[in-house]
Amino acid sequence: MNPECLVHACYDQRLNWLKPLFNGVTTCLVLGIVFLLQNELDQRHDRVIVQIQDLANLPRGEYLKPALLGYHHVGADLLWLRFVQVVGNKQNSEDEYAWMYHALDVITTLDPHYAYAYYIGGNILGELANRPDLSNQLLEKGAKANPTVWNIPFLLGYNYYFLLGDPAKGAQYIMQAASLPDRPAYLPGLATRMAAEAGSPETALVFLEARLRETQDPEMQEFLANRMKEVIIERDLRLLESAVAAYQVQHRALPGTITDLVTAGVLSMVPQEPFGGMYLLDRKTGALSSSTHPKRLRTFFKRKQPSYSFPKVQPSYSFPRTWE
Amino acid sequence: MKILSIALNTFRENLRDKLLYNLLVFALLMIGSSVILSRLTLGEFHRLILDLGLGSINFFGILIAIFVGIGLVSKEIEKKTIYTIVSKPVARYQFLLGKYLGLTITLFVNTVVMALGLLVVLSAQAVPIEGLLFKALALIFVEFMVIMAAALLFSTFTSATLSAIFTLALYVIGHLTADLKTAGAKMDDLSRGLLNGLYYLLPNLERFNLKGHVVHHLEVSGSDLLLIVAYGGAYTAFLLFLASLIFHRRDFR
Repeated sequence: MNPECLVHACYDQRLNWLKPLFNGVTTCLVLGIVFLLQNELDQRHDRVIVQIQDLANLPRGEYLKPALLGYHHVGADLLWLRFVQVVGNKQNSEDEYAWMYHALDVITTLDPHYAYAYYIGGNILGELANRPDLSNQLLEKGAKANPTVWNIPFLLGYNYYFLLGDPAKGAQYIMQAASLPDRPAYLPGLATRMAAEAGSPETALVFLEARLRETQDPEMQEFLANRMKEVIIERDLRLLESAVAAYQVQHRALPGTITDLVTAGVLSMVPQEPFGGMYLLDRKTGALSSSTHPKRLRTFFKRKQPSYSFPKVQPSYSFPRTWE
Repeated sequence: MKILSIALNTFRENLRDKLLYNLLVFALLMIGSSVILSRLTLGEFHRLILDLGLGSINFFGILIAIFVGIGLVSKEIEKKTIYTIVSKPVARYQFLLGKYLGLTITLFVNTVVMALGLLVVLSAQAVPIEGLLFKALALIFVEFMVIMAAALLFSTFTSATLSAIFTLALYVIGHLTADLKTAGAKMDDLSRGLLNGLYYLLPNLERFNLKGHVVHHLEVSGSDLLLIVAYGGAYTAFLLFLASLIFHRRDFR
């Protein structure tokens, strides 16, 4: 029997029951081939569904907005959806944070009233990326477009107070946040306190507690809790330092151990190190430190120069150089 | 009366159009899919459902307005059924208005179905429903009315394909006309006059866009709303008047 007859046989009246079987098998076969090809192509090009590099290629919001023909809010939502998918990583490179800033800038240009995007974006750029410059840029834009949203100036105040070492300016922003509707009840108290005693660890602790209360993200909560413990170390070290100074006045010598301070009566009790370590005293110099965090936390009261690095873009060749 | 009977006939005819159901199903699917997408997002999932829902209603409604609208007159001419109508004591403008009214009824029913879909999703997700949502939906419908009139106008003098392209182009331009004014402000008197003239001639469809207001709870005053609706009505009347002028001189051969 030649093959042509076989095909004809399938459509023969007597073999009518074969028809659906034949159709089903053919459909499955073609689908299977499509699946295999698609899979092979995916593996060759190693495509991840959303790649963080894609954020860098977004066109500027000013150009994207008119192209969306009035659907820019949907556009902002979909970009936010993509943004959220790549933010999950705990560590990102400096470039990646710059791309995130670009994406956030595009999203907030498409929808300038997207207050949530400013707040979360400001958090990520300021705290996780350690780029308070970018964070503040985003937040200033948000504050201009949403003058009644309190948590944008709140976060700006935080950035100035803790990350940029400018407590006076930080207090100014917290004052602004405290004057806005729907702000939490404790905010005015915090604002006046910050203005009065900018840079004291006690004030910083109250501020951090306020941030912790406003944060739902568990990762951010952990971060803030750690920061609070670091500030507690700083507070304790200051306390111990003043006790050592008092001991020196009394005994004209350095104390041998920290417990000497308690027995001499200049310290009521040895404070507990919040990370479970202990406080150490250098016998020769009298310097105090924590066993878990040997470096002192200077961020919120001593640091004038920001420790973050701006990306340095220097032209390799400047035009009139040869004539100089 | 004649207009109404033509309108009802057009409505019945439109209900047999498969394209209509395709678009409607897609719109409802999009509205439904916002629930799945909102699971993936961080923070305000309400806004994703609202944005995507209103966006889908707007987008698919426009597609229905254009692709059903362009066929209203050209199909009658193609199938030669127009002869039976024109030979009856029906003025041409009555025929045109009847067709327009029929499509308006069709699209109104469609918008109601899509809006019900959105409302079901919103209440299932416990999203508070505000009066502003209905204002936005009403203005979306006014935008449909303008686009339908444009599709009808174009279909009175060109083929269906060209009318579709023209109407789509008008839709795109209509969302960008604000730029004409800003661009004109930087030019000399003659160009500014020209651009301003174009600005007033073309529809400013951004006026009907309240989708963002719903999400951000930005209230629109009643008088503003009334003015926008009146603007849409006036522009629709202008397009329909132009269409009936052209259609009056049209020779069906």
